[in-house]
Amino acid sequence: MKVGIIDYGVGNLGSIARALESLGVTPVLVDNAMNLHTQDRLILPGVGNFTDCMHLLDKGGWTSALREEVITHNRPLLGICLGMQLLADSSTEGANDAEHGTKGLGLVHGRVMHLSKLGCNFRIPHVGWNSVSSTSGDNHLFQRIPDGTDFYFVHSYVFVAQKNCDVLATTDYGTPVAAAVGNGLVWGTQFHPEKSSRAGIQLLSNFLTGPIC
Amino acid sequence: MLTYCKKCVMPDTKPDLNFDEMGVCSACRSYERRKEIDWDARHEELMVILEKYRSSDGSNWDCIVPVSGGKDSTYQVIRMLQLGLNPLCVTSTTCDLSSIGRQNIENLKQLGVDFVEVSPNPLVRAKLNRIGLNLVGDISWPEHVGIFTIPVRAAIQFNVPLIVWGENSQDEYGGPAAAAEDNVLNRRWLEEFGGLLGMRVVDLIGQEGIEKKHLLHYTYPTDTELARVGVTGLFLGHYLPWDGLSNALIAQANGFNTYQKVVEGSMVNYENLDNHQTGIHDYFKFLKFGFGRATDLACLHIRRGRITRTDGLDIVNRLDGKFPWEYLGKSLESILEPLDMTVSEFVSICDSFTNKKIFQRYANGDLIKDKNGNLTKINCDNL
Amino acid sequence: MLKVRVIPTLLWKQFSLVKGEGFNSWRSVGSVLPAIKLYNQRDVDELILVDITSNKSGNEPDYDSVAEYARECFVPFTVGGGVNDIQHVQKLLRAGADKVCINTSAYQRPELINEIARRHGAQCVVASIDVKKNAGGGWNCYSYSGAHDTSQEVCMWAKELENRGAGEILITSIDKDGKMQGYDLELISAVTSLVNIPVIASGGAGNYEHMIQVIESGASAVAAASIFHFTEQTPAGAKKALSEAGVSVRVGY
Repeated sequence: MKVGIIDYGVGNLGSIARALESLGVTPVLVDNAMNLHTQDRLILPGVGNFTDCMHLLDKGGWTSALREEVITHNRPLLGICLGMQLLADSSTEGANDAEHGTKGLGLVHGRVMHLSKLGCNFRIPHVGWNSVSSTSGDNHLFQRIPDGTDFYFVHSYVFVAQKNCDVLATTDYGTPVAAAVGNGLVWGTQFHPEKSSRAGIQLLSNFLTGPIC
Repeated sequence: MLTYCKKCVMPDTKPDLNFDEMGVCSACRSYERRKEIDWDARHEELMVILEKYRSSDGSNWDCIVPVSGGKDSTYQVIRMLQLGLNPLCVTSTTCDLSSIGRQNIENLKQLGVDFVEVSPNPLVRAKLNRIGLNLVGDISWPEHVGIFTIPVRAAIQFNVPLIVWGENSQDEYGGPAAAAEDNVLNRRWLEEFGGLLGMRVVDLIGQEGIEKKHLLHYTYPTDTELARVGVTGLFLGHYLPWDGLSNALIAQANGFNTYQKVVEGSMVNYENLDNHQTGIHDYFKFLKFGFGRATDLACLHIRRGRITRTDGLDIVNRLDGKFPWEYLGKSLESILEPLDMTVSEFVSICDSFTNKKIFQRYANGDLIKDKNGNLTKINCDNL
Repeated sequence: MLKVRVIPTLLWKQFSLVKGEGFNSWRSVGSVLPAIKLYNQRDVDELILVDITSNKSGNEPDYDSVAEYARECFVPFTVGGGVNDIQHVQKLLRAGADKVCINTSAYQRPELINEIARRHGAQCVVASIDVKKNAGGGWNCYSYSGAHDTSQEVCMWAKELENRGAGEILITSIDKDGKMQGYDLELISAVTSLVNIPVIASGGAGNYEHMIQVIESGASAVAAASIFHFTEQTPAGAKKALSEAGVSVRVGY
């Protein structure tokens, strides 16, 4: 099993790599969009700012390459944290155009916006462990993970999916927040599985062993 | 760069050691202050405490003396008998008892004392050795816990309140028995002196199939139980001038056996003779902090004026921190066998706990090892 | 529901793990790696590691050691000490840190907070403030591990850090630190009522009751060092006590 972590210039790649190593996999840092096809599974990390990250993805040729790998070649992709948000159609984070936001990868339809815009009155960023509930019983990504298990979140923006069926799991932070999304092409987790101890490792294992879509 | 004491050869990486503005370590200063101690007065204090806690009518033992059979515990027992006490000697059997260790235990009994030997489940012990090594880099973790826990449990079970320990690493402290108030030994004491590295007995439950019932040997009594018997303790080394070599001479004159050559990693043949795993324990001290058993001993003897600092440095450079291929003649492979660990797994664990900043490395960061796997410190003395 | 976090803090000085009292009387108590491995084994909520000498020595953070420690840590790992440049942050994150703690550097160049938040996200910036009570009953902020009085008042400074993009505030009472007699509850109330970002309380925990009190004063998380090293109390024990007091905490998987 070849697992590639997309190295487009941001992200705490070390943690993800270590978590995968603990599962017996030796991940590869893919730093060239031309090499995406060499991997069986892809992980898209993300730290920072949506607009800056999309800029890096566009500049490095990643945007079109990723869309091709996923849509045409059915290559499974997991986006983590900002990586999940990048799967959206757009985000207002760091955007010049506040109304339309910055364009994302468009692999899971939806928009990314600030928590406060969804009626959250709690402290922002949403930092810490929060319980995650699967939206359906036969969710492969959450297999062997009991409902309500805590995962580690650290974000200020949230993914608002266009279709409810694309939301695989939710958490509550004053308002329902998409904790995981997936539409058969790609998956994403708002929380950090690589930092969520054993539950996170189980989720990563599920991603690696999941059925190819 | 490591900084070394100007008087002895201990580096400042040693936990709980401070250096003053003259560059002299607190252990050296503490030893200097010994000249000012009124040992007669201390002896008097000791007798008062012993009188206070000993059995009034001989219907019970006067005190518990935790022993290992080594030079210090042999010496302690000799002194207790000389002072007219009837001690109950208690030992928590060590992890990998050597034959010379067994001989010395039997010799200690022959001094004329009642003796309780509590041996832990060896299968559990081996797992704890492995976990201790893997998790906190201390193969002897269960041994430390046993040494501090078993005598205290014995005190409660046999209803003997006073425990007479040997030497205290923090010289100034005589022990709770000496305190005017609050003289009951409590849990905090164990954490402070037990050398537990932050690990708790409860941390072990669930690992490698270990359950609470397997850890009874290591489970410290509750504060209620301690208060019921009024368990207290003192360090003999606070009341009598303590010297390892003197203790060894006195012990030897009373049948204690020494090793036929200098013990591996050490510079003497009269101590640390009972546990084959001690070589590994001392080696990890070297990996983490840059000093091993030879350094410890050189410092003790320099302080007492038996060798010069220059001689001490020379001895340390030649003997300290060598990879423990064998200990008391037993091979590393055999020592690791009950732990279900190979030598190469052991080497990986060594590397992970090595403080790489204090050893010489190649440009790529790998540790430089000689053909026997030995490391070299970045500096062996102040520059 | 978001859980309250119990975060062991490890203080690091050159080669050793250290414990102090009032940011003084530093005692070296062992090496760092065993502590990291132990806490990871115990599945703690997070770990904070602060190098207390970097700001004085002027050295860059020790990335190699951080990488080694991060390798053993599968929970969020915050690293601080001597971080004064965005490059340091980049390298620390690359080495394996998840969040970076900024303290002294922020007084010298507050724009650093904006830069890091902008480039790496507010969520990776923990602004750390060390304070001592002043004669007026308020608190002054101290830099250089408590050596220098910046004469900044804590609430104003905390607000400024929030405005500049800090994701969390770690607030430590130097007066209470290491004494195990309780947190400075007034301090925590004052800061938490003013900022809208999570506040981690530090300095003074001696028993579980202290932690319950400081959560009630508004802290989102409790950090502690001495209590976990010197007593038989553990992070798991703390969470059990908090849970029994009605505080929502994470239960391990």
